[in-house]
Amino acid sequence: MDGYGALRKIPRALLRISFAIAALAAGLALLPAAAPPAFAADAAASATNEQCLACHGADGMEKKLADGATLQLHVPGDTFAKSVHNSIGCTGCHTDVNLAAHPPAENDIPSKRSFSLAMTQVCRGCHADKFDQWETSVHAALVRNGDSAAPICTDCHNPHAVIKDAATQIDQVPCQKCHSAIYTAYSGSMHAAYRRSSDKGYAPICSDCHSAHDVKPTSFGQGPEHGPEAACFGCHDGVLAAHQKWLPNAALHFEVVTCPACHSPYAQRRVDLMLIDSKDSKARGTEQVGVPLFDASAQSNGKGIDAATLWNLLQTLNRAGIAEKTVLRGRLDVLTGPQAHQLADKSKAISDCQVCHSSGSQAFQSVTISLVGPEGRRVGYGANADVLNSPTSLESVSGFYAIGGTRIKILDILLALAVLAGLGIVVGHLTLGWLFKYFGLYHPHNGGHGERPADGGGPKAA
Amino acid sequence: MQRLYIHPLPVRIWHWINAAGFVLMVLTGLQIRYVGLINVVSFRTAVAVHNSVAFVLIANFFVWLGFYLFSDRIKAYQSELNPRKHFTATFRQIYYYAFGILRGEPNPFHVSIYHKFNPLQSMTYQLVLMLCVPIQFYTGILMWDVERFSAQVNFFGGVRVIDTVHVLIFIVIVFYLFVHVYLSTLGHTRTAHFKAMFTGYDDVEDDEVEPAAAAPESAPSGGVRPA
Repeated sequence: MDGYGALRKIPRALLRISFAIAALAAGLALLPAAAPPAFAADAAASATNEQCLACHGADGMEKKLADGATLQLHVPGDTFAKSVHNSIGCTGCHTDVNLAAHPPAENDIPSKRSFSLAMTQVCRGCHADKFDQWETSVHAALVRNGDSAAPICTDCHNPHAVIKDAATQIDQVPCQKCHSAIYTAYSGSMHAAYRRSSDKGYAPICSDCHSAHDVKPTSFGQGPEHGPEAACFGCHDGVLAAHQKWLPNAALHFEVVTCPACHSPYAQRRVDLMLIDSKDSKARGTEQVGVPLFDASAQSNGKGIDAATLWNLLQTLNRAGIAEKTVLRGRLDVLTGPQAHQLADKSKAISDCQVCHSSGSQAFQSVTISLVGPEGRRVGYGANADVLNSPTSLESVSGFYAIGGTRIKILDILLALAVLAGLGIVVGHLTLGWLFKYFGLYHPHNGGHGERPADGGGPKAA
Repeated sequence: MQRLYIHPLPVRIWHWINAAGFVLMVLTGLQIRYVGLINVVSFRTAVAVHNSVAFVLIANFFVWLGFYLFSDRIKAYQSELNPRKHFTATFRQIYYYAFGILRGEPNPFHVSIYHKFNPLQSMTYQLVLMLCVPIQFYTGILMWDVERFSAQVNFFGGVRVIDTVHVLIFIVIVFYLFVHVYLSTLGHTRTAHFKAMFTGYDDVEDDEVEPAAAAPESAPSGGVRPA
């Protein structure tokens, strides 16, 4: 039997008396200990809260919903008293509750999700700015796409236990509920270590880089001017100048190498080749490119998109009559989201050029071709590592190149041939000179050139 | 035997700086491209040396260009404008190096102060110095700071295209160095041409001296000295 079912059996008059007694008792018990002065409700509001908590403060109060799930109706009074929402009281949000007809006779809540979604509009009443920001977020995009796990207000903020600045405490940050692997990685990062250490000053937590409500998808791979990477520069200003002191082409490295690719030294790396508009550099969306075409290409050989397939794909995308040309922009990134958050102290960052600029470098063994999905998230397709050093990539992957690391093999063959040809000419000519002399075919003319050197070399030249 | 002053001092300075520089560029270029396979110096050191030497070579290139532009020695690079004569002389020179020299035949080319390059040399040097080397300098500068020159890099098709051109010319230069150094040993002695590039004077048989060598105006102490 759910909470409402039990309550329905109590005569209404008795219920009201019980509410009054319970409210008085609860008020006496709760107020002196729990309500901090800053969040103290006025007397009327507190009285209403106490009236509600008389029932909802009871542990185990819950309700069976139409979909069979259980909705917790228990609101710990002491916790709520500490909440910033204590000041507006229960009826500040639950305006639809008619005490005269509460609990309702009919079970009108189909599911927890639908109830929470409906209640977001209540949040919006006071937090319109935050709600508007949320609507631009990847979370909201996922909700619009029907993702039932995508977070809405109450998934991050327990409305009955909202504590100011709780989301900025490492141990309480709500992001960890869904992004546990990333949270674990962050917890071991130098950012978390610095944040925990009060004498080290400021260090970021999730919302500092990803925003609190207008959470954007991870944009590594879309250039340093976008997304969280821009946040790196927000705190670490002057890093370009610092890198230019020792790193050749530092600005180029900033453009094509993400910060974690070096500052998460134990991470695996991959090259992400994003399809972008050649004019405005905006990422191509899956709906623009046509995913079926892409999927067919990706599955062409079971090993991901190879160099020839990629070249054909780009030819198809840029076929005659298409005004907006598509090109690939490459960036060296880490393989996974958690690895992007394992940022180490700068003393451990990769500064050995050879890690990337050598043949067979691990950095270039994993390659993805990516687009942007409808909700703004990157959609990656596996590619064969040969797309980075194939001759056809001269055109298709023209903008991403790491000296030594992604060199075109056929040029190595040409160099070997040039050396062999050069040595061959020298050795061959010396040998022929010796043979001509040996067989008596060498007859120095009498025009004053003199005798050939004894070692069989040729006579004088110009 | 006469001594012709065929390599003026600025040309000799330019040549040996160029020679040392390009050898360094080739070696550091190999180290940069094949780090892991070759580990003589670190990648970073190789890049730093490669970049520094490149700017010395670029400055040195203008020493060469300036000298020839502002002296009458530029005649050395003036090609035969008659195609029939030019290609006939070129093929005669190729035949000489490929076969005639082995049989002891005389060199079809006769050196003079204003005509010190045979047709093959003249053509090769002009291709190398006026085409390959400037393109190599240009692509190198683009890659020295890709972001600064990103507009030009993108115009030519991206950094991969620029680097490929740079490497192709590198391959040409590597081949050229083998042939150039070997042909330099084919003087009347193995070291004659090397000595000439140090002293400026080349020993030439009397019957090989062209009339133009008789009264050079720009050569110090006269263009011709008794051997």
